[in-house]
Amino acid sequence: MNSGVVPISNFQLALSVILVVIAGGISAALRLGLLKSLAWGTVRTFIQLTFIGYVLKYVFSANNLWLIFVIIVVMCFIAARASVRRTPNVPRYPVTLAFWSLLASTVLVGFIVVRVIINPVPWYSARIVIPIFGMILGNSMNGIALSLDRLYGESYARAGEIEALLAFGATPWEAIRGCVHDAMRAGMTPTINSLMVVGLVSLPGMMTGQILGGADPHEAVRYQIVVMLMISAAVAIGCLLLVGFSYKRLFTPDGALREEIFKSRQ
Amino acid sequence: MENLLKIDNIRFTIGVNTGRVEVSGLLEEGGVLNICGPSGSGKTTLLRILAKLKETGGGSVFLQGKPWTDFSPSGWHRKVYYLAQKPAIFDGTVEENLKKPFELAAVKTDLRFDLDRAARLMERLYLPQELLTRDARTLSGGESSRVALVRALLVEPSVLLLDEPLAALDRTAASAVIELIAEWLEETGGRGAALVSHTGDIGGLSCCSILDLGGKEGDLSE
Repeated sequence: MNSGVVPISNFQLALSVILVVIAGGISAALRLGLLKSLAWGTVRTFIQLTFIGYVLKYVFSANNLWLIFVIIVVMCFIAARASVRRTPNVPRYPVTLAFWSLLASTVLVGFIVVRVIINPVPWYSARIVIPIFGMILGNSMNGIALSLDRLYGESYARAGEIEALLAFGATPWEAIRGCVHDAMRAGMTPTINSLMVVGLVSLPGMMTGQILGGADPHEAVRYQIVVMLMISAAVAIGCLLLVGFSYKRLFTPDGALREEIFKSRQ
Repeated sequence: MENLLKIDNIRFTIGVNTGRVEVSGLLEEGGVLNICGPSGSGKTTLLRILAKLKETGGGSVFLQGKPWTDFSPSGWHRKVYYLAQKPAIFDGTVEENLKKPFELAAVKTDLRFDLDRAARLMERLYLPQELLTRDARTLSGGESSRVALVRALLVEPSVLLLDEPLAALDRTAASAVIELIAEWLEETGGRGAALVSHTGDIGGLSCCSILDLGGKEGDLSE
């Protein structure tokens, strides 16, 4: 049952601004101070998505492996920068560590999903790879931002405990393990929560998109299950890598907790 | 008496880079080094540097003639133990807090938690055995200090670095702590203690040497 996408004309698209006007009205009425951000965000949404639409049209028609790879790397870099900016507890964090964590987890999980589970022909089909990798990145970047912020936040709050464990002879890993544990849970919990409620509270985006495009709901559900599980794996791997790269930065080469950790308090 | 810990031109700053301090000193086996001085003179900073919990601006420390660079960080910490003025109390009961160090690889390779010994040490410090099952976070400041001291003694360091060990204690408890430390020093060879106090008065402990930081810059010695 593939009845195709119902097209939206430019006029109909313009009508969607009514929705933003509603949000803006609420912001103005309650004096939330979000009117400017909402307006600018709306403009950016139109421009960025329209631009991406043209880019994707070209990329899908070219279907070139190297071009697809470059796009994924660029996406990872943008996601890494965005993640690091969402961490109020973490000063001057190198984007490269977030980038490598995201790239490794995204490529690993994405490759398994595309090559092993979906297996399109050719396997690197841009129409499959880019949306799949994009979904992984979008969710992973939130997860790693939460993990990283929590790691540092817990370290500040528990600096005395960490130092006490070091004083007993703990290695940095042994001393920080409790904070790492909490950081991983913070990164993974939202994903796990969404696994619990998917389909009950709302229809997730991918499934919705496919159904709107005329796909059979049974087929859409299969894809959505794969997507949910791949996201949970990617978030777990991404958080583990990032936290693994990051915890050592909290210690000096001699294994002492850095002074900034004692001085920083939220 | 043999030199247990030799502090050789340890340099550090105090305040927000307002004062540069350079310290040398000796702690002999079986002895006590009393580090005293007014607030902000760098006593705690010095102890943390000696414990390798803070980086130094220069200088070296020798344990039984061996430089601290010859030890791994956890190896040094097993020998030279720093007890903070406000010791860390972990989630769980008092017994779980006493057992905490024994979860670590560096400790459990050569030591087992001895509940009987822990109970005896607690009794010496007027801590009833019933306290073992209590939530450690409900302890008073004085009780926490004494539990932390018991925990420190259980891991059998060579050098104890004690930051204001009597601060939260009444006279009776303070005397018990002093007595216990004195006994610990005499029990076996290769032990010493460095204590920080504001005034230099640490009751009945016979000091071998005093390091008076006095708020002055420059070389400060016994």
